[in-house]
Amino acid sequence: MPDFPIIQTQNICKSFYLEGGQEIPVLRGVDLEVQKGEFVALMGDSGGGKSTLLNVIGCLHPATFGSYFLDGEDIGHISDDYTLAFIRNRKIGFIFQSFNLLHKLSALKNVALPGIYHGMPKEEREQKASQLLIDMGLFDHAEHRPTKLSGGQQQRVAIARALINDPQIILADEPTGALDSHTGEEIMKIFMKLKSKGKTILMVTHSPSAAHYADRIIFMRDGRIIDQNYKIPK
Amino acid sequence: MNLEILNMAGSALTSNKTRTALSALGVVIGVSTVILVVGIGLGAEQKVEQQFKNLSANSLIIMSEMGHDAIGSSKLGIEDVDLVKNASMVKTATAMLGGNVSAAYGKESASKRVIGGTAEIFPISNLNIGAGRAFTDEESADRANVAVLGWQVANDLFGDGNENDSVGKTITLKNKKFEVIGVLEKNGSGMPMLSPDDSVYVPILTAEKALFGSTGMFVINAQITDVKLVDVATYEITTMLRKAHNIRKGRADDFQIRDAGSMVAAATGAAAMMTNLLISVAAIVLLVSGIGIMNVMFVTVTERTREIGIIKAIGGRQKDILTQFLLEAIILSITGGVLGIIIGFSAIPLLNQMEGWYVMPSLKGALLGFIFSGFVGIFFGFYPALRASRLDPVDALRGE
Ligand SMILES: Nc1ncnc2c1ncn2[C@@H]1O[C@H](COP(=O)(O)OP(=O)(O)O)[C@@H](O)[C@H]1O
Ligand SMILES: [Mg+2]
Repeated sequence: MPDFPIIQTQNICKSFYLEGGQEIPVLRGVDLEVQKGEFVALMGDSGGGKSTLLNVIGCLHPATFGSYFLDGEDIGHISDDYTLAFIRNRKIGFIFQSFNLLHKLSALKNVALPGIYHGMPKEEREQKASQLLIDMGLFDHAEHRPTKLSGGQQQRVAIARALINDPQIILADEPTGALDSHTGEEIMKIFMKLKSKGKTILMVTHSPSAAHYADRIIFMRDGRIIDQNYKIPK
Repeated sequence: MNLEILNMAGSALTSNKTRTALSALGVVIGVSTVILVVGIGLGAEQKVEQQFKNLSANSLIIMSEMGHDAIGSSKLGIEDVDLVKNASMVKTATAMLGGNVSAAYGKESASKRVIGGTAEIFPISNLNIGAGRAFTDEESADRANVAVLGWQVANDLFGDGNENDSVGKTITLKNKKFEVIGVLEKNGSGMPMLSPDDSVYVPILTAEKALFGSTGMFVINAQITDVKLVDVATYEITTMLRKAHNIRKGRADDFQIRDAGSMVAAATGAAAMMTNLLISVAAIVLLVSGIGIMNVMFVTVTERTREIGIIKAIGGRQKDILTQFLLEAIILSITGGVLGIIIGFSAIPLLNQMEGWYVMPSLKGALLGFIFSGFVGIFFGFYPALRASRLDPVDALRGE
């Protein structure tokens, strides 16, 4: 079934509240559908709410209003830490602009880390982690700490980490934002490979060249989606 | 799973060794203080116990009043013993005149405590004759130069294990010859110099004539018929002695009477007060060390906000983060606790070498120290750990 929305949001609103109680509306009613296996880029003005939306989808913070179906299940109202952690651990792999690796751990241990919270035995997760590092062309760097690696290498470690529990969905917030264009292209090639393996990818980006790899580009402004199938002007 | 988290907690601690060591230091000091305090308290209690081991509860101790300035009154003397004996509520009474003199046999000589007493001194002081016999009333009246040796004195003068051979031998006390007529059983109270084991007993008139003259410490020990009669008996004896000493109305007594019960209570009370004082000092040290740990944990949580955000983003639960930070605090304090126990116990023998110190090593101290350190870790580690676990993942990832 090609047209099954694995991510579906309806009228998602999210506000932040300042200490004085003042409301800052950031998402103002987002209707978004991402089909299973689709690679979608999310573009838009800075401060338009892209990261906030991605964090809602990644269960890192709750929406203020609206419903959210993940893989057909209504999870918008779940506030239980156990379930949310489970979703973040098994269903979603998160990739960040700044990699967010743990500097005290080797590349291998970083990749294996989500396996700990999955309850995977040490042998299994380290074997999986090694295989993923081989896939990312980083086998020689398995024992290196992240600080010894280049930006592109660190991002590949982060991708490997996102894959260790074999999630269906990859959420990436400006994954090439901290990389030069050549390295960015390499990362996008990895994303294409992931797509070919059936992963659903939702990627926030400012880079038109990165967005070109996506099946579809969604454009956001002021907390709303203003174009579900945006074409980058030539 | 929890083993993994324990592992992570351990490596977090080893990654900042200086800070870990500094924050554990407070616990080390706290726990060794607890151990020493408990040791000092128990030591003091035992000291008191030993001091009064040979005093029965229905004893009244009558001593000269120090610094007495009543003109024309006589001092407490041996003649008062018979007077006290005649009091209706007194079962028996004995006088003691004590002081230190040099005791010698052959080449062996040492300064020993000599106590002059009547024949009743042995039953009144709960002392048993191990070999030979006690002195008789005749010997007392005749001022005979006879002596009963404490167990340790006999061993010191006649060689270890030869205490019973001393009976019948002649020793010198203050260069005067004394026949050894008996040896006491080992008493075992552990206070050197004050123990009956370390004392020599002679008839009181002998002690006065041959050894001390009017110097020396003179006390009368009266056994009353019933412990409940302490107050009445004290009143009776006071009246009799005031009359005998011609003390006019309105003038102060030239003697003082104390009962064993209140002496023990006073000494025990003093020991307990000291223990409580020390425990409060230790409690403050411990509190400070706990606050130190809490502080370090807060700094750690703040510094590792981003790490906490990452762990949450990849699926770590609140419980996992709480467990990890709590484990860090507990490992920290228990390591400090174990070190504190080692240091505390190593300090005890050193302290005991100092004059006047008696610190008793005890399991109680070790347990208290260990339980305390675990408690500090849990109590002061919990709040920072809870705060860490409840951080909002998005805020945490931003490193705020
Ligand atoms: N915790 C917060 N408190 C207040 N305002 C916030 C908070 N997080 C984000 N915002 C605001 O929300 C808006 C959208 O932010 P974001 O989703 O990061 O935009 P984008 O990723 O599209 O650049 C910005 O104006 C930002 O200042
Ligand atoms: Mg953003």
